[in-house]
Amino acid sequence: MRARIIDKKDLIEIVDLLRKEYEVVAPFYGRGRDTYFEVVTDENKEQIQLHLPNPYHPPKKYVLPQIQRMMRMSFNGKVRIEPTYEEKKRAIFGIRSCDVAGIHHLDRIFLGGTYRDIYYERFRKNLFLANVVCTQPGVDIDEDCFCVCADTGPAAASDFDLQLMDLGDVILALAGTEKGEKLFSSPVFRKATPAHIQKRQEMLREVRKKFASATSWYTAAVRYISMGKVTEEVWEEIGNRCLECGGCSYVCPTCNCFTVTDRKISEGEVERARLWDSCALSGFTRMAGGHNPRKAVHDRRNRRFFRKLAHYNIQRELSVACIGCGRCVNVCHGDVGMPSVVEIIRRSCAEKQER
Amino acid sequence: MSETVLENVYLPKTAILERVVDEIEDVKTFFWRFEEDQEQESFRKFMPGQFAQVSIFGAGEFPASLPPSPTEKEVFFTIRKVGTVTAAMHAMKPGDRFAVRGPYGNGFPMEQYFGQNLVFVAGGIGLIPLRSCIVYALHNRERYQKVQVFYGARTPKDLMYVDLLKEWEQSAGFECHLTVDRKDPSWHGNVGVVGSLFQKPGVELPVENTTVFVCGPPVMFRFVLKDLKSMGFQDRQMVSTLERYMKCGVGKCGHCCIGVAYVCVDGPVFNLEQIKKLGEEI
Repeated sequence: MRARIIDKKDLIEIVDLLRKEYEVVAPFYGRGRDTYFEVVTDENKEQIQLHLPNPYHPPKKYVLPQIQRMMRMSFNGKVRIEPTYEEKKRAIFGIRSCDVAGIHHLDRIFLGGTYRDIYYERFRKNLFLANVVCTQPGVDIDEDCFCVCADTGPAAASDFDLQLMDLGDVILALAGTEKGEKLFSSPVFRKATPAHIQKRQEMLREVRKKFASATSWYTAAVRYISMGKVTEEVWEEIGNRCLECGGCSYVCPTCNCFTVTDRKISEGEVERARLWDSCALSGFTRMAGGHNPRKAVHDRRNRRFFRKLAHYNIQRELSVACIGCGRCVNVCHGDVGMPSVVEIIRRSCAEKQER
Repeated sequence: MSETVLENVYLPKTAILERVVDEIEDVKTFFWRFEEDQEQESFRKFMPGQFAQVSIFGAGEFPASLPPSPTEKEVFFTIRKVGTVTAAMHAMKPGDRFAVRGPYGNGFPMEQYFGQNLVFVAGGIGLIPLRSCIVYALHNRERYQKVQVFYGARTPKDLMYVDLLKEWEQSAGFECHLTVDRKDPSWHGNVGVVGSLFQKPGVELPVENTTVFVCGPPVMFRFVLKDLKSMGFQDRQMVSTLERYMKCGVGKCGHCCIGVAYVCVDGPVFNLEQIKKLGEEI
């Protein structure tokens, strides 16, 4: 990996370099502590910051929009079925390491397997990821972050094009791809020394100690779920706390489920679109005629965590489908986000064994 | 399954409805072909047990099993009217256009069963997906040992593919046993559940070197498996095809997930040994 350093005052220069080729989006502060991804313009670019809380809405919308048009079908007279593609070169400036892992997870779903998803691919191949390493507790890192446990942060190890880390006096830039390295031809980047790299290691070692919940204790939960050791009563306890809002799926950077719907746009013409869907909702598995194999809410909770912790871990991707961003903790009114569920399972199974 | 498909897998191709045949109440068979001949050619390489995604313009898309055997000339769907999209399909007339993509899923590995006895057990419209295998087996009759069909419906009026049933009953080297739960004056055959056919005098199911195909409503499924088990059949000898709500058909949308499997790409065909390892009730 090639390393360079830049002065803090030149941070916006990198954004401008990217803007020559890409539409750049970056996290901005809202009116309070809230942050959100927004397109960078000449007007707002001075407000770009390296350190701020990770936006509540993940950047997955840039590869999997909440509503995505797929095709138009006109059927008055001769039938025409035309795919609808959106293509835009886009850079996400300031994507956090956990979210980089989220994109990597979606890559495996949509680009892996027998069938490639061409809609996803079109977004993905045009996407530049400028990752920022979280180093400031209370700002970048909040009490719900557990990337250290999910092994996705605080510094992404792969899948970024460019990685920026605040070393205090200067910013260290690492290129993860040729696309990223191309930027280094600009004079704002200066040579990094072994001392800079060493400082990076030292700082990361310190930052890892600053997490309030450094671990979510997955291992035990993964094992209990995979072995079918979690009792129906425990799932009921979790299910009773689920308000069936689907929020956890929508804010989850790894949740990929979608539904497909046709919408009339004119007489004899419909548009087919796909929309985010959630396994928390009762209609998720309901078949025509009304039969629903997963009716009860606790059964649906069971399936969600089975899929994230056992299914993905054992059979599909050899990793859990959780990146430790903590968004589900924030969104869940019933406090059954990932860390709570893992804890409930771990405690109940451990208690049972002690008996 | 190692080859990656590169084109837009979600784009259906235009099909023309050629004729419609009434089967039983709320069930019709739709004979169709693709507008483009080359689409027709590539689609016809499907395996028994695979399925397709059917788009009815203005209504939506749904998964449908493929009842024809690849050894037959025509392609068709047999569809029960259960929801809005299937109702829209039932309203279609010959000459109308719709759209199809596929075939998808693993299908029954019919060639792996060469040299074996085949037992087909179907209840109600469970015969739709098994029709493909039975016709395939009949076409390749010399490649299999004993072939038996056990089929039950609620009443004589609910028996599917009646012309074909008559043909099967008369085919040499091919046993076809029918039953109904409730008879009417026209019925002179067996009355009782499908499992009662196994007890009929003269009926003998070979347990060694046999694959049993079971397809039907959940209650029938449970009882038939119990019967087969008591006869000595092993879990891996019993195969079925599962049904789930599906949106994409290609392993991306997450809807058809049962435990560790996606029905659309890992199934829909599973043997009972695999079903028991899914990690979720079917």
